Parts: sequence; structure tokens; C-alpha cells
Amino acid sequence: MAHFTKYLISILIGTLCLLYVCDFIYTQVYLHSNPRNKLQYILNTTGEHFDTVFMGSSRVANHVDTKLFDSKSNSKTINLGVEGAGLNDNLLQLKLLISNNTISKVFLQIDTNFESDTPSNIAISEAMPFLNQNKIINNHIKTYLNNSTKLECIPFYRYAINDPKIGFREMFFSVFNKKPKTDPSIGFTPKLGNRRPLIQYKLPKAIKNKNSVLEEIIHICLKNKIRLITYISPYCSKIENRDYIAKLKTKIPNLIDLSKGYDDTLFFNCGHLNNEGAKIFTNNLYDVTKNKY
Amino acid sequence: MLFNSIDFAIFLPIIFVLYWFVTNKNLKLQNFLIVSASYLFYGWWDWRFLSLILFSTIVDYSIGILLSKENKKKNRLILLWVSILINLGFLGFFKYYNFFLDNFSTAFTFFGADIKTDSLNIILPVGISFYTFQTLSYTIDVYKRKLEPTKDFIAFSAFVSFFPQLVAGPIEKATNLLPQFYKKRTFESEKAIDGIHLILWGLFKKIVIADSCAIYVNEIFSNYESMNSLSLLLGAIYFAFQIYGDFSGYSDIAIGTSKLFGIDLMRNFAFPYFSRDIAEFWRRWHISLSTWFRDYLYIPLGGSKVSKLLSFRNIFIIFIVSGFWHGANWTFIIWGCLNAIYFIPLFLTKRNRNNLNIVSQGKIFPSFHELISMLTTFVLVSIGWIFFRADAISIAINYIKKLFSFNFDNGLQYLSIERYAPELMLLISCFILVEWHSRAQEHPFFGTWRNFKLISALVGLITLGVYSNVTDFIYFQF
Repeated sequence: MAHFTKYLISILIGTLCLLYVCDFIYTQVYLHSNPRNKLQYILNTTGEHFDTVFMGSSRVANHVDTKLFDSKSNSKTINLGVEGAGLNDNLLQLKLLISNNTISKVFLQIDTNFESDTPSNIAISEAMPFLNQNKIINNHIKTYLNNSTKLECIPFYRYAINDPKIGFREMFFSVFNKKPKTDPSIGFTPKLGNRRPLIQYKLPKAIKNKNSVLEEIIHICLKNKIRLITYISPYCSKIENRDYIAKLKTKIPNLIDLSKGYDDTLFFNCGHLNNEGAKIFTNNLYDVTKNKY
Repeated sequence: MLFNSIDFAIFLPIIFVLYWFVTNKNLKLQNFLIVSASYLFYGWWDWRFLSLILFSTIVDYSIGILLSKENKKKNRLILLWVSILINLGFLGFFKYYNFFLDNFSTAFTFFGADIKTDSLNIILPVGISFYTFQTLSYTIDVYKRKLEPTKDFIAFSAFVSFFPQLVAGPIEKATNLLPQFYKKRTFESEKAIDGIHLILWGLFKKIVIADSCAIYVNEIFSNYESMNSLSLLLGAIYFAFQIYGDFSGYSDIAIGTSKLFGIDLMRNFAFPYFSRDIAEFWRRWHISLSTWFRDYLYIPLGGSKVSKLLSFRNIFIIFIVSGFWHGANWTFIIWGCLNAIYFIPLFLTKRNRNNLNIVSQGKIFPSFHELISMLTTFVLVSIGWIFFRADAISIAINYIKKLFSFNFDNGLQYLSIERYAPELMLLISCFILVEWHSRAQEHPFFGTWRNFKLISALVGLITLGVYSNVTDFIYFQF
């Protein structure tokens, strides 16, 4: 039994050491490699001034042609839209961005994301490597995690449970500086083609009374003299419960409603414009806002 | 309780310590601990179904005792059939009730008689197919006088419910497992270390290989209509490795865990994808089930020692029953038929027992002929797996049609899981090389490079394992 116990202990100790080593290597790689996602890009950007920052979900990432907006407005623009991101993720982005940079204008896309005030799994995953290194991330995310002690104390746990986003594959590509599919410094990821038939998209019937995260974003913008422009992106004609948008406008009086007026042929699917649609939308968004703000 | 869960990681050391340090002086107490631990292990999933195991145990224990007192052939046969009917009755009700009801209803509707049926919302008790076959083996062996019936109820309960193999096998024959509960077990360090190696390798196969494959397989099979032939081919290959990693991984953990308790279970997988023909594949895949069907169904039916026609019938029966054993769906029956069709030509030409040795034993590389034979067998097996994986026969047929349409539009497809379809082949290729290197052993941790291999497996488990989505073992549903 003594021989077996010794062997078992050596395996357990070996495993623990490997966990520490892997955690250290992964963290160092993510801290020092070229950014492969928008959160890393924000963390690596210091002393910059952005004239226009677009924030939201894939309905920003796919809809706002950054270079086109840049050339039309002759200003420095970045698209921070992330697929699946909610308002809470946008709040984190804003906090991080203004900690080392300055911003003039923020365009915030609001739709059904008004219903949620917790961070998305994507944001949590992407923030994990910086959990112990960045105070803003730590303070922001910790309140929403029910396993924060495990994440902070068990080596490699944060990478293991978030393997689709920050697992071996992502770490490997970071080591070799492989360029991501979307350049995070531009951020526009157009959808190509049309998925037919367009499947009906349902908006919620009821609306939340208020979104505390949105209120915090408004407060931060006011405090930092950032002009906040809220708008809603287009949906195709096959949308159900369209009166949700009217309800949303009562909650956010300045919301610019761009949800209508786009031909179904311009959509990749009901909630996302294709490349052609994105160009028309970007032009339209610029025209609608250029004199007002 | 899942082998790949924190619960099991806490449960196992506690039982291990109690087994070797507290109850080791008393065999009965040690067996009682095994039974209690097994019931706790099973009840963790759903305690209500413990009554089924207990009932099955009492029935077969009592019938064993009655068989020992009965000498009349007719009465003995009646007792045997009571056991078979009770055991298969439970299995039939929980697993096949809705299937038969739906099919009867469809058949009557087809002939113009519209009958109303209400299917029941039945939960399939985990492992019922496995422990039912195990208890049946006991009654049949006692009936055939191959085994003395036991009077030790605790030992018999331990045999029926032994937790490492309770829910997904290997399906042990009473002649192998039951006598081990009669004898005092002594701790052997080397055996226990071997057990740890098997557990480690089983976890690697499950968490690294099977679960990684599952991500791609789910994506490709769910969207097969938009996939090109290359992605569909990869989907089929990945599923072949998913099911192998999943099930053989479970078996390795079960065998390894048993070794920690001084109990030897039979080998369940012997590198089946290095088989040179389908007959060899079935000698290497789910060995305990194949052996069970051979001993308790094929041979009693006459096996191959009857006319050609009856032999064909016997071959079809065991493959179809084997398919049906896996699940109440026509896809499994077609899968069984397909394997019978693969097997028949070998049987006709008397080549079904050609490849009994380990392929390329003592050599580094296989010969060209061996390589082609292995690839051909793998292709045939993988086509069968498409039926096994698909939700309906029509889906499997469409999948195969699209696969052989040789449409390579879009080249290497980028999947919505944010990975290119062929990426996983890198991991699969490394896995094949490791398996090839250790094909004469039970696991790769042997020889002078043992520690290096162990560390590599641990690093692989840590960095390549899928922990974001902990999944059940596939064979739990059977």
C-alpha cells in the first residue's frame, strides 16, 4: 500500500504542478500576445482618442462598416460590437476604454438587450485571463460570478471551463500571432449572402421596467463628457411583436429608430443585414446623426 | 454519478479507504460496503430505480436457490423462463414499450384501422440493459449447471450492482465475477497502479477525444444539409472516434476502478479500429456484449453448426438483436442488419476467423495489404455508425447520399462552432498513433517512456479536455 500511496501522491502533486504551470503560461500568452478579440484590443490600447465608438452585439459588428463611417465622418471610428454581447458587456468595454483613452461619442445599439443586465458568457470567457491582473475586470465581473473563489484559487480552472473561447486552440493561435478573422481594431464583420427563407423573429411581448446597466452607461458618459447616441438597428419585415420597439422608445426617449425601411433582400437573416445592407445602413446612420450630434 | 464528475472524485477515495482500511478484515463487511457504495452510486442518479435492481437481485438469487433444489428438467426450465420473463419484461417495458406501441399503431393505420394509442412518458433506468444481461447470465449458467448457485445474498448483490460496471458494463458473466466476491481480496500495489493508469487513459479518451469529437459531430450532423462531402466525411470519422472514445473510455475507467478494489473485469475493447475485417472488429468491439450474445443466443440457436440457411438466420438474429439492444429505434436495427450483411461474405468464404492475432505484431508499420484491410473495415464500420448516430433512417440515407455526391464546394468549411471542420483530425491522428503503438497492451503507459507518456496524458487532459460542457457517456442511454 505504501508504494501505491507514494505513486498516487506523486501523480496528484504532478497534476497540481502542471495546473499551475499551464495557468501561468496561458495567462502570460494572453497578456503579451497581439489582441485576437475586442476585449484584448481595448486592454492593449492606451493614450488614444476615439471620435466615435460603436457598441452593441452582432447587430453592430455586422451592420456598421467602420471604414465607411470613418471616411464619411472624417473621424477616428471603432466598432466594438461583439456577437452575443449584452449591455453589461458594453459597460465593461466602456469602463476599460476610458481608463486609458478618451472618447467623444458612443453609439449604443439597443434592442432586446435591454432585457438583460448581466454579462454574457462570451464576455466572461474573454475576460478570464485578466481576472487577477486587471482591477476593473475583477471588480466588474466578480459580482456576477457564483464561482469566483474557484476561478481565482484553483489553477487553470478559469481556462478549463471556458475552453471554447480561451482554451488551447486560442492560446496556440495567440502564441503564433495568428491574425483573427476580424481585425479587432476595425471590428466590422459583414455577413455575406441571404439565408432563405427568412425565419420569423419574435421580439418580447413585455418590456422590463428599467435597465440599471444602461443607467450606469448614461451616468459614465455624462461624467466623462461623452456624447451617448442610442439607436436600434433594422429588422426584416417578418418581425413579430413590433410594438416592443414603441415600448422601448418610451423607456429611452432619445432612441433613434432605424428598425424599419430596409428591403428583405438586404438581410442575411431577420436580425442581421448582409454586406450590402450594412453599407446602406452605415450611410443612413451617418446621415441621420451627422447634424444632430 | 458520472465517472467524469467531482462527485465521483470524492466518492471513490472514501470508498477505497473504507474498503482497504476499515472493512478489510471481514469479507462479508467488505462485500456489504461494495453493495452500499453501489446503491449510493446508482441512487445518486435516481434512487427510485434502486428498487428495480433490488427486485432483479432477489428474483435471480431466489431462482438460483430453487434451481439448486430442483432436479426435474421441466421444472428447471420453468424457473429459467420465469427469470427470463421477469428480467426481459422490465427491460421491455422501460425500453421498448413506446416503440412497439408506435409501430403497432402505424401498422394498423397503414391497413386502414385507425387506433388510438397513448404512449407513456417512461424514464429509462440507467444501465438496465447491462445489469439485466448480467443477472440473466447467472440464472442461465446455474440452469446449465456451469455454476453453483450462491447462498450468499450479499455477494450476489455485489455481483449484480458492482458500481464500476453497473451502468455501462463490461457485462460480466457470473462465472467470472461472482467467485471473486467469495474470496478475500488482498491489496496489490502493481494492480492498483495499473488501475490508476487505466482510469487516466479512460478519462483521456472520454474528455479529450470523445467530447472534442462530440462538438464537431453535433454541429455536422445537425446541419448535414448545408455541409459538403468533405465535412460529412469528417463528421462520420469524428463520430466513429466519439463513440469509441466515449464507450471504451468508460470501460477503461470501470476496469481500472475495479482493479483498485482487487477485482478483475473482462476487457471490453481491444483496439477495434485496427481490425482487418468485420469479424475481427466484432471480436474487438464491446467484447462483453458480443461474448454474451455468442454464449447465450448464437450457440443455443445452433451457431454455425447447423445448415447454411439456419446459420444465416442465426447471424442475422444476433446482429439484429444486438442493434435492438442498443435502443428502441429502427436506426439501430438497420445498423445491426448492415453489420450482418458485412459479416455474411466472410462467413460464406470461411474467412471470419482469419485474423485472430494482433495486427503487425512486433512491427512498426503495417503492410500495404493490412493497411488497406484496416481502412476498408473502418469505412464499412463508419457507414454503419451514420445509422447509429442519425435520429431517423431517412436522415442517415440522406447523409450518406450527400456524402457520396462528391460535392466539395466551399472546400474546408468553417463551422458555426468557430472551427474549421478538418482541424480535429490533428488530434485524432495523434490518438491513432498512440493507440497503434500500444496495440499489444491495455493502455499506453508501459515501457521505459512510461513517465513521459503519463505526463503527456496529464498535460493533454488539462489543456485539451472539454470541461465547458460535461456530457453523459453515450452508452448510459442504452
